[in-house]
Amino acid sequence: MLVFMEPLINGILLGGLFAVIGIGLSMIFGIMKQVNLAHGEVMIIGSYLGLVFMRLLGIPPLVCLIFVIPCLFVIGFLLQSYLFNRVLGKGMEPYLMVSFGLSIILQNTLLKVFTPDARSLDSSLTIRTLDVFGLLHLPVIYLIGFAGGLVVIALLHLFMKRTYLGWAIRASGDDLGTSKLMGINTSRVYALAMGIAAVTSAVAGILVGMTFTFYPHSGTQYLITAFGVVIIGGTGSLMGTFLGGLILGVAQLLGGRLLGPGFQLLAGYLILLVVLTIRPQGLFGRR
Amino acid sequence: MSSHYIRFSFLIIALLILIALPFWASRYAANVLLLIFLYIALASMWNLLAGYSGSISLGQQMFVGLGGYSVAVFSMYYGFPVFIGVVMGGIISVILAALISRPISRMKGVYFAIGTWIIAEALGIAFSNWGYVRYGMGLFIQPAYKLSLFSIYYAAMIVGLGSVGLVYFLLRSKLGLALMAIRDDDVASETVGVNIFRCKFYCFLISAFVTGLAAGIVYLNTIFIQPFEAFGIGWTVNLLFIVIIGGMGTVEGPILGAVIFVLLQQFLAEYVGYNLIILGAITIATIFMAPRGIMGTFQERFRIVFFPIRRE
Repeated sequence: MLVFMEPLINGILLGGLFAVIGIGLSMIFGIMKQVNLAHGEVMIIGSYLGLVFMRLLGIPPLVCLIFVIPCLFVIGFLLQSYLFNRVLGKGMEPYLMVSFGLSIILQNTLLKVFTPDARSLDSSLTIRTLDVFGLLHLPVIYLIGFAGGLVVIALLHLFMKRTYLGWAIRASGDDLGTSKLMGINTSRVYALAMGIAAVTSAVAGILVGMTFTFYPHSGTQYLITAFGVVIIGGTGSLMGTFLGGLILGVAQLLGGRLLGPGFQLLAGYLILLVVLTIRPQGLFGRR
Repeated sequence: MSSHYIRFSFLIIALLILIALPFWASRYAANVLLLIFLYIALASMWNLLAGYSGSISLGQQMFVGLGGYSVAVFSMYYGFPVFIGVVMGGIISVILAALISRPISRMKGVYFAIGTWIIAEALGIAFSNWGYVRYGMGLFIQPAYKLSLFSIYYAAMIVGLGSVGLVYFLLRSKLGLALMAIRDDDVASETVGVNIFRCKFYCFLISAFVTGLAAGIVYLNTIFIQPFEAFGIGWTVNLLFIVIIGGMGTVEGPILGAVIFVLLQQFLAEYVGYNLIILGAITIATIFMAPRGIMGTFQERFRIVFFPIRRE
């Protein structure tokens, strides 16, 4: 039984990180009913920017967030203003394809700038493990990822519920026409929303960079992870996204333990396909 | 009536030139044309799904991988002739398509796109963990060494032109009529008795079959197959580019798109790394400036259609 205890707990901890990876995608899907296929690449840009600031200033990766967060906010804001807003309201295909084209451009630009080598954001935290009574070994970095997940989701929740901009974003998501009539500049609100989604990606990018190695093409894999979180958790609900992350994390690590490390990703994908088939609106989503 | 004959004789002449091409053109030219034929086949099948059946698939590479591995496995492990392996690739792709069609049909729009992508990714991981196909190391398709360029060229031509003909006749059939009705108004078409699931099901199977076939020939040409490349999203990236540039929902679009794509690829081959950036930028620019693609815009302006789907 103890054999499964460790992957279970580690899966839950990893799930917190997965939730941060998925939250931006979930937010945009909830508000604009669109899927940003460049989500993974934006996140990996966060990881690479973290690397740049780490090297330049010699600061630990978590401190880099001070610089990476504003950078990604601007990137998200500009992408929405100049690319995505132009294809909104034209149905699903143009948005899907513009974001897909963007992901190809970003991925190959990263490849040109940073070479295909594996990178990671090393710090003293990455290798440390926590012994629990000599029975369990929990990587400290997983705990940080989990805590990061809780903090991001709590802050996002407060932001959406308490601030004027949060109300405006939710209103635009609920009823676009009426929000325009109420004097909300919806394309600006959308741009700000994408900026905030990119900020969550910045946190995700730094945490992912500290936990795993990353490559210029890693974005694809994390887009699928993010989509998995959103599908399992259901769209637009913050709590659902968090639980979706936990389920995906547990599925991956338990699957890896049962079938072998090569099947870790596969186990996650299979859970995802099952949920897509049985409850396309997500386990915690409403129709 | 006369314009019909002009068009017909034009097509015959073009066909004769293409058949005679390997006898007089250089090996390089024949190779480029071969690639164009294969991409026409793959893109036409993606277009059949995206442009006519309204389901954007990001997982066509699952059939590409299966087609390629079928050729490798059947010709090397079991000693079948390579072209039997190619046909088996089509058949196995259809079987997979039929197996996943039920769950897939419940996914709409974005969910369909990501669902198909995840299936392809899952297959890629499964193949890279499968000792039977030598894990992620990949396979060299040795029987393909003995093939002449001629036989691969003609096989590619048959699949390429055949797929255009198939899409053309399919769209003029009752199924095509039903598909366009669904695309224009799915609720109304269902009310008058169009079975939406069955129409999309047939499209999906046909697209899987031809994609599997074409992929088999692709790998006869490249000779080496490796799971993450064969089941990689790169295939669908190329198809998306071809169809968007050419014009989604037109029969001619994938042809023109494939010509542009392959020529651009040859031209950009020396700028490694920049070619995909340029392709991505062209795709986005096309969506902004000519959302119906080159052929779609052309048809709208001049009302010239080489393969009219409407019956006069």
